[in-house]
Amino acid sequence: MTGALIGRLVLLAGVLGFILAPDSFVPLLRPFAPDGMPVIYDRAGFGNLTLWHLGLVVAAIVPSALLAILLAVLVTRPRGAEFLPLSRALVGFGQTFPPVAVLALAVPVVGFGAWPTLIALFLYGLLPIFENALAGLVGVPASVALAADGMGMTPRQKLWQVELPLALPLVVEGIRISAVIAISTAAIGSTVAARSLGEVIIAGLNANNLSFVVQGGLLTAGLAVLVYDGLGLVVAAIRRRPR
Amino acid sequence: MIRFESVSKVYDGIAVVDDVSLTLERGTITAVVGTSGSGKSTLLRMVNRLVEPTAGRVLLDGTDTASVPAADLRRRIGYVIQDHGLFPHWTAARNIATVPGLLGWPRAAIDARVRELMLMLQLDPDVIGPRFPHELSGGQAQRVGVARALAARPEVLLMDEPFGALDPVIRQQAQTDLRKLQQQLGTTVMLVTHDMAEAIRLGDRIAVMRAGRIDQFAPPAEIIAAPATGFVADLLGEGDRAFRYLSLQPAARLARPGAADGPVLPADATMADALAEMIWSGRDRLPVAGPDGHPAGVCTRDDLIRAGRPG
Repeated sequence: MTGALIGRLVLLAGVLGFILAPDSFVPLLRPFAPDGMPVIYDRAGFGNLTLWHLGLVVAAIVPSALLAILLAVLVTRPRGAEFLPLSRALVGFGQTFPPVAVLALAVPVVGFGAWPTLIALFLYGLLPIFENALAGLVGVPASVALAADGMGMTPRQKLWQVELPLALPLVVEGIRISAVIAISTAAIGSTVAARSLGEVIIAGLNANNLSFVVQGGLLTAGLAVLVYDGLGLVVAAIRRRPR
Repeated sequence: MIRFESVSKVYDGIAVVDDVSLTLERGTITAVVGTSGSGKSTLLRMVNRLVEPTAGRVLLDGTDTASVPAADLRRRIGYVIQDHGLFPHWTAARNIATVPGLLGWPRAAIDARVRELMLMLQLDPDVIGPRFPHELSGGQAQRVGVARALAARPEVLLMDEPFGALDPVIRQQAQTDLRKLQQQLGTTVMLVTHDMAEAIRLGDRIAVMRAGRIDQFAPPAEIIAAPATGFVADLLGEGDRAFRYLSLQPAARLARPGAADGPVLPADATMADALAEMIWSGRDRLPVAGPDGHPAGVCTRDDLIRAGRPG
């Protein structure tokens, strides 16, 4: 427990430290930079890029989560049950499509910039949240669902007061998975001119500057680990304290 | 009063409940007994419309239940199910408050009612109230389930195998408590069970169900004395019939003037208790207590054995 806590704090301090004062990491990164090349990426601030990166993730995952939860609710209603296989197939299709392909196909339609990335992240976020929300809703014990009906809850009251609260830990677990996938995928968005930490990596690859690649890669990975960890704490808190 | 009028429920061409007509008198306990698949739970669920009849109708105090919106109807009917079905994310107190909450009672009235019910069911409101269902024992969870069903003062209480998940010792206590509670509140109870002994102990009348039909609908003594079909007799278990019959009658009824040695039989003991006591203590006459607790007479072995044979 304490070990894990210390690990988290060190990682958080490292990520924040790099964003706020990247120059202090020059001695560590110098060996990776070719002679005469800049060690730290300087065409944009890391704070700015990190915010863009996380902004992309949030802007894609929030609608993704809403749609996925809505779909899961609809297909678990008596009238929506027949759409369950169809929605599973659709959402699964979104997941199997490679993100690079989504980017490539989206650019001719919506142009360069943030939009193709948002579309890819949105599609990528659907499956884990949908499947988890589905598992959560289907997993409500039969006797509990029967009691909700028998007490005289309307279908809407049953959904809001019983089914969704009971499914919540699994839903957040799904959001956690989607968010981590989105953080790593967002980096690829910079290939089509989305602002994200990916642009540091791409600049490094273009200029053959390994230092840029390392700092962009590590920062992205650090963010993913921190977000995964943070949402894990949220899940644990929900499970510990039922509502 | 609950009245079934030629009620049937057909699933995929199979009648799970087949043309059942039955009247459950107000303020009584009716036990519906049958093996699994006999349609007894389906019959019960047609009262609060968790199952809609394919044919026939169910009347509640003269009103056709189909004419009342299902949610409104259910809030007026208490419902207890086998593994209690408590909402796992709510405390015991909040579970009990479910129906008053749905009915929009004021906060203070709900809190007072929850407290009152918990005391009535011997649950300490300050200790058990804030606990979550997974922190309750089986017996406590069962009582919270009963409290939840009674919260909005329903006139009708439906119980679907309410003691099925309890171990035998607690079950017997829970049955006794239910009987007392029902007498105190005057609620009309429809109880579904597969256990004939439970039906005999609790039911004012017993309906024996088989394959969607009622084989016999009669008071327990009549069921034991004259089982209408072989199936009813099988459910009774031939060997236990005499003891079951004795267990329905108070021993005090056999008291005749006189005195006997040894411990006095309590006033509420049944004839079965008296016989068991005789066998165990090797006596053939027992002093029986009157309502005041003092010996009021004796009960003899010959009288007991005669009383165990109906008719």
